[in-house]
Amino acid sequence: MQTEILEIALFTTAAALAATVIMLPPGIALAWVLARHRFRGKAVVETLASLPLVMPPVATGLLLLWLVGRRGPVGRLLAPFGIEIVFTPVAVVLAMAIMGLPLLVRTARAGFEQVTKRYEQMAETLGARPWRVFTTVTLPLASRNILAGALLGFTRALGEFGATIVVAGSIPGRTRTLAVGIYTYTETGQDARAAALLVVSVTLAFGAALIANRLARVD
Amino acid sequence: MRRWAATVAAIVLVAVAVVSAQSGSSPTPRPRQEVLVCAAASLADVMQTVATAYEKRAGVRVVVNTGASNTLARQIAAGAAVDLFVSADEAQMDAVRGEIVAGTRIDLLSNQLAVAVPSDRPRTLRSLRDLTDPAFKRIAIGDPAAVPAGVYAKAYLEKLGIWTVVSAKVVPSASVRLALAAVENGAADAAIVYRTDIAPTRRALLALAIPITDGPRIVYPAAVIRGGHNRDGATRLLTWLRGAEAAKVFEAAGFIRAD
Repeated sequence: MQTEILEIALFTTAAALAATVIMLPPGIALAWVLARHRFRGKAVVETLASLPLVMPPVATGLLLLWLVGRRGPVGRLLAPFGIEIVFTPVAVVLAMAIMGLPLLVRTARAGFEQVTKRYEQMAETLGARPWRVFTTVTLPLASRNILAGALLGFTRALGEFGATIVVAGSIPGRTRTLAVGIYTYTETGQDARAAALLVVSVTLAFGAALIANRLARVD
Repeated sequence: MRRWAATVAAIVLVAVAVVSAQSGSSPTPRPRQEVLVCAAASLADVMQTVATAYEKRAGVRVVVNTGASNTLARQIAAGAAVDLFVSADEAQMDAVRGEIVAGTRIDLLSNQLAVAVPSDRPRTLRSLRDLTDPAFKRIAIGDPAAVPAGVYAKAYLEKLGIWTVVSAKVVPSASVRLALAAVENGAADAAIVYRTDIAPTRRALLALAIPITDGPRIVYPAAVIRGGHNRDGATRLLTWLRGAEAAKVFEAAGFIRAD
């Protein structure tokens, strides 16, 4: 039983980490665009980016299942290459990334909004090109919020259940995560296993949330 | 900054290694000798046991995915590459009618309704009619609007003509397992669940098993799915699941062969 619990804990952590890494580039880009630009349909983009946060996770899962299922618009494109997503660890990471993204975007956006524009303008007058300004001035100044956002996204990914069970299922040694494992073991009356996963889950979440809160604190 | 980047890169590498080790070969098609079984949540434990036994015998890898039958049906309808589907009720198997390999659908297992009582208040019932006794203040059943076990329970109580009396005491639960949990922690005086649910727990006791001839017909249908990668493997596994060796495992868990 111990190895099984350990395996699930390790896999969940690794998948949540992978999901965090995947959500970082689009998350940072989206946060920056929302913080710094005005454009038509901004409200729509803003709302879309927070949708996974307010939608029932199962609904997000059903939407994902439809998208990446072999008959869905994305799944159909991947099928000729023999790539399947449903019931694979990739599906776990995908579900986690989508559920965590809104938290990253929100927190990082607040960070970009706090960056004093004058510093950026100074860099520009010194001849720095926009990309250089972004990577050497904007990004470092917002890095604390980005890190906090990434951690929040990571914690959300750690506990993801609704979307995961729909799009990845509960396959031991392949797609079973902490949350899904707790559900499966409870449903089958394997209370000792469920309790062990619960302890692991609380410990991991506590640690991650502690660090995330500390980073997000404005002093 | 550079050190930070190196740390992140290291973490990513480890994460990718773990995730891909888990998948064997990532999102590529599964090897031909593997069979992916999707089984109802209530079968999770017994299916894993049976799968392990079959793996030893046939040298084939059997991967078992478990979930609520309606979720599994949805996944199959979305084109998930499932080889074999074992549903907890006929409705969900009917829902994927178009995905089934013709002629492979069978009734694999059968179950009985049973009454569970808290183990610190053991009791034996003669019939479900005993539930009208005022000693039973709260009776947990699966939500008759959604949970198959609740649908069966309500139908049977109606058949006995005591639903109107009992329904005032009924606590509907989101799953049959939660109905049992209500008895385990003493929140309910009795629960109507599947017989197989009571066996693994110590905090609830069997008070009555409703005879299969009298109670509702509860079947777990199984069928080979067209969208799978290993139709031959699935067919062979299904044949084996109906055999004597698998029957022993199913019966030990309290299931009854349906034929």
